Amino acid sequence: MNNFSNMNYFMPGGANDFSYLNEMQNVNNWETSKENNKMMVNPNQNLNFNKCNFNGKTTPNELFDVYNGYIRGNMFPNLYNQYKINRPYDIEPLNKQAEMLTQLNAYGFAAHDINLYLDTHPNDKPMINLYNQYIDETNKLVRAYEKEFGPLNVSGNMTSPWSWNNDPWPWENN
Amino acid sequence: MWKYEKKLQYPVNIRKKDLKMAKYILTQYGGPAGELAAAFQYLDQRYNMPDERGRALLTDIGTEELAHVEMISAMLYQLMKGASVEELKAAGLGENYATFGRSLFPSDSFGNPFNMAYIKVSGDYIADIESNMGAEQRARATYEHLMDLTNDPDVLGPLSFLREREIIHYQRFKELRDYYLKQKEKN
Repeated sequence: MNNFSNMNYFMPGGANDFSYLNEMQNVNNWETSKENNKMMVNPNQNLNFNKCNFNGKTTPNELFDVYNGYIRGNMFPNLYNQYKINRPYDIEPLNKQAEMLTQLNAYGFAAHDINLYLDTHPNDKPMINLYNQYIDETNKLVRAYEKEFGPLNVSGNMTSPWSWNNDPWPWENN
Repeated sequence: MWKYEKKLQYPVNIRKKDLKMAKYILTQYGGPAGELAAAFQYLDQRYNMPDERGRALLTDIGTEELAHVEMISAMLYQLMKGASVEELKAAGLGENYATFGRSLFPSDSFGNPFNMAYIKVSGDYIADIESNMGAEQRARATYEHLMDLTNDPDVLGPLSFLREREIIHYQRFKELRDYYLKQKEKN
């Protein structure tokens, strides 16, 4: 995508500090979220995904917040495990369009990751509620983005001239 | 049906051309543990799942893999953008250029075209889900190898994101497998 600066790389903090997990409530505040990434991350120790008895059961307040889940590609601290890099890269949008896109992407990602969880935990009501919360927020953000920067997909009434074919397309970087 | 959304699942913004890296990453486009293979494998297996749980999970993960195909394509496109013929030759992409020019073509890093025989389908849903667990583990390992091959944060960011998705998918497939095994014990 154009409009993004580099994802900043931060040097590692302490290696075995899991205290950040206690502070990882589901804060829906975007700015607070970004601050949370300054917390320590254990890079290599969390290997639940290879433990035979780990059933994946997770409660909403155990999850990463939206921003931190998104930059990690994983909403589930109990499955989070890093390779090579010592902390996830921040995403630093350079303008309003990129900022709005990052935000709606992050909420959409949170909803999607919970969706996969719910496929195998279909009776988990608290998680269904959280899914609904995140998908509502995503839809609001999509509407706000589209109002300003044009459609993300072809649906409903379109303006004239046909705005679907406007740049930028997602794979272009400048 | 599917509907296109005009965005990547996670931003790809690579500023530094790196043809060698493009050649390595090709394997995640059209190679045996690549995203294209994963997408087809999961979407194809849906028709032999015993209940809605498996059908839902395979649909959702298969769909996400299509978004990963697009991320990998964007990485390849940006890593090769503006390369001269001399540069392509020097990076071992001369053969690729001879046949495909500057188009993307799904192959592995050696240039072997994507092959549908990569797709594992057996008629046995437990065997299929277990092959998916293996596919996720192999893809995770491939992403780790790719991360070993670069120090560019623009490239490491998306690779790290994609690697993390393999971990999640592996876990969900494992949960599905365990659930079906328990169902079998009950009956």
